[in-house]
Amino acid sequence: MGEGYFKQRNGLYVLDVMGACGLMTGEQFRGLAAAAAELGVPAVKLTTRQTVVLLVPEDKAAALKAAVESLGLRVAPYHNVVRPVMACPGNKDLCPRALGDALGLGQALQERYTGQEVPKDFKISVAGCPRGCTEPYCADFGVVAVGGEAYDVALGGFGGSSRPRHGQLIARRVPRDAVFAILDHVLERYRALAQPREKLGRAVERLGLEAFMPPAHLLRPAEEPDPVLLELKAFLGGRE
Amino acid sequence: MTIVRKAVDVNLGALAEALEKKICAACDYLDTAECHPEKCMVAFARKVLAFVLPKGVLDLPGAAQLIPAQDLKVYVPEDVAAALAETLRQCRECRDNHSPDCVIALTRACLENALTGHRIDYPGSVFLYLARLREQDPRLAELVARELRGGSGPEAGR
Repeated sequence: MGEGYFKQRNGLYVLDVMGACGLMTGEQFRGLAAAAAELGVPAVKLTTRQTVVLLVPEDKAAALKAAVESLGLRVAPYHNVVRPVMACPGNKDLCPRALGDALGLGQALQERYTGQEVPKDFKISVAGCPRGCTEPYCADFGVVAVGGEAYDVALGGFGGSSRPRHGQLIARRVPRDAVFAILDHVLERYRALAQPREKLGRAVERLGLEAFMPPAHLLRPAEEPDPVLLELKAFLGGRE
Repeated sequence: MTIVRKAVDVNLGALAEALEKKICAACDYLDTAECHPEKCMVAFARKVLAFVLPKGVLDLPGAAQLIPAQDLKVYVPEDVAAALAETLRQCRECRDNHSPDCVIALTRACLENALTGHRIDYPGSVFLYLARLREQDPRLAELVARELRGGSGPEAGR
């Protein structure tokens, strides 16, 4: 497994640092800023995958990595692995549009899967509502909260290509636990069926979606309805 | 800056009033033993609006599945058109982000079901909706368009 550490044209290196789906504490930001100042980092850049890259001279890279890890952050894994997870700030405390916990689910997915080896880079995006700010249909594995504790899952999308592809919906309104089980199944099938360096979406095009579909019991819709819907049902049952 | 839509951003009261004054008030079953709110699509829409108003939310995921299916009353297009127009007046033109779970869309679905027995897929735009409605029911589309042109609210045209 490689790490996000690359030489740039100007001779400097970049270190790709991941937080909890883009979330960092003030203390971590201050720590990064202090390390950047101390180690001669001339610039910091936010990435599309909600990570932060820091430009650093080669002889200071090890010290910067140590500083990053001392802050509870880590250098993002790179190459043909599950990449850092993108998630929107959808949960009960943050984005008012959210229909479910996207941020917490994204962080849990990142914790469990990021760095696992796969035939080609594998990107996961989690969105808190169908507006999809994290572009879940442009990810290898896209998850969209749809209300209550239920999620839709799309498979095989990607954007970084001259021939981008939209993911295909494979599960509707499945419970949170099923998202992990579906992802386990998809990764197992992907490792077993894909050619070396073949994107999941291309493997789907070559072999058909059916080859990657999880068994029916993993696709059962969430049994617990949205509490607001339950409240509405009770309200409708009352006298006008 | 992103404008986050909440119930306070739209006039759901005007929608509820249109349902009450344009449809319920003209209903032959009002205040009779034949008035069954639990089977009535208009009563359902009114109750959903009453439910969301104090909560300040617009989206109710899954609520569309609760729309009564056994409302067999005959609705008069002229009565329904005013309320249908009011749903369009309150529409925020969400385009691709249109949600079928929005209470405005739920109300519109009830009215479409009441008149035609089926839903019209809402394209997220009033103009496009009217064009779609015109393809399916030119007379109703004209009534709704007339309401939108001349009406300023549920009292207009009375």
